[in-house]
Amino acid sequence: MTKEEFLNKLNEALRGLSLNERRDILQDYEEHFVIGLEEGKTEAEIAERLGSPSSIGKELLASYHIDRVEQSVTAGNILRAIWAVIGLGFFNLVIVLGPFIGLVGVICGLWVASLGFTVSPLLVIFDFLVHPGTFELFSLFVSIGLCGLGILLGAGMYFVTKVLNKGFIRYLKFNVSLVKGGLKHE
Amino acid sequence: MNVQFKKGVLELCVLVLLDKQDRYGYELVQKISDRIEISEGSVYPLLRRLTKEEYFTTYLKESTEGPSRKYYRLTEKGRRYLNELVNEWREFSNAVNQLIKEGVNSD
Repeated sequence: MTKEEFLNKLNEALRGLSLNERRDILQDYEEHFVIGLEEGKTEAEIAERLGSPSSIGKELLASYHIDRVEQSVTAGNILRAIWAVIGLGFFNLVIVLGPFIGLVGVICGLWVASLGFTVSPLLVIFDFLVHPGTFELFSLFVSIGLCGLGILLGAGMYFVTKVLNKGFIRYLKFNVSLVKGGLKHE
Repeated sequence: MNVQFKKGVLELCVLVLLDKQDRYGYELVQKISDRIEISEGSVYPLLRRLTKEEYFTTYLKESTEGPSRKYYRLTEKGRRYLNELVNEWREFSNAVNQLIKEGVNSD
């Protein structure tokens, strides 16, 4: 591969990054080529030792998207980050997507439970309106208790969701730092 | 050597190399790849990440031959992180060496 081919392929792989960022990255590799050539290496040799430009691009893309999630947590940003990390290799499909789906399941479940608890007095009243004969004071008290529990659970979940979010981002970062890059050739 | 393992150590290597003096990217890459077989291109993403985390600052310096080079300098935060990593590494490698020794002796 020549210097130009390498830089073109890398540039291609960096699609989605801002123009500034891309120029900055390409400059680093260009500098690497220039110094290598000064030392008497050939372009092909330098490119060979650098490794695959597309896997370098993937790694840069993944850390870029993780940065974005850290700056603003939106569903879209999280999904893009996960997608980019998964792009680093099949290994990550299991390692990243598995825990993520599990986590989302548990969080959703608990949120739904908290919501259900909170509105349970309304259900008792609704039940009373539909079947006026069946009113029991006991179920009203239980439902009021559940309502309180639901509100507490909701407040707790708010913090849990925040903490898990941060934890998951750290996990993604850990993956990026661990999984790729040490690869000699791909 | 195991790929994942090497990747984590690469970070430590870069930080250690910048402990005593500022260096430019190509220099860092060569110093490491002289000793450890790595894909050289992966050092630059690492340098970017560590710079973003404020472990390094960068500056451009003219070189006698050719265009200016981007130098990396360790920050205070980077130095603290380096010390942490070095301690962890020592503990870790001591433990592994100990296990190897015991393993070899028991054969």
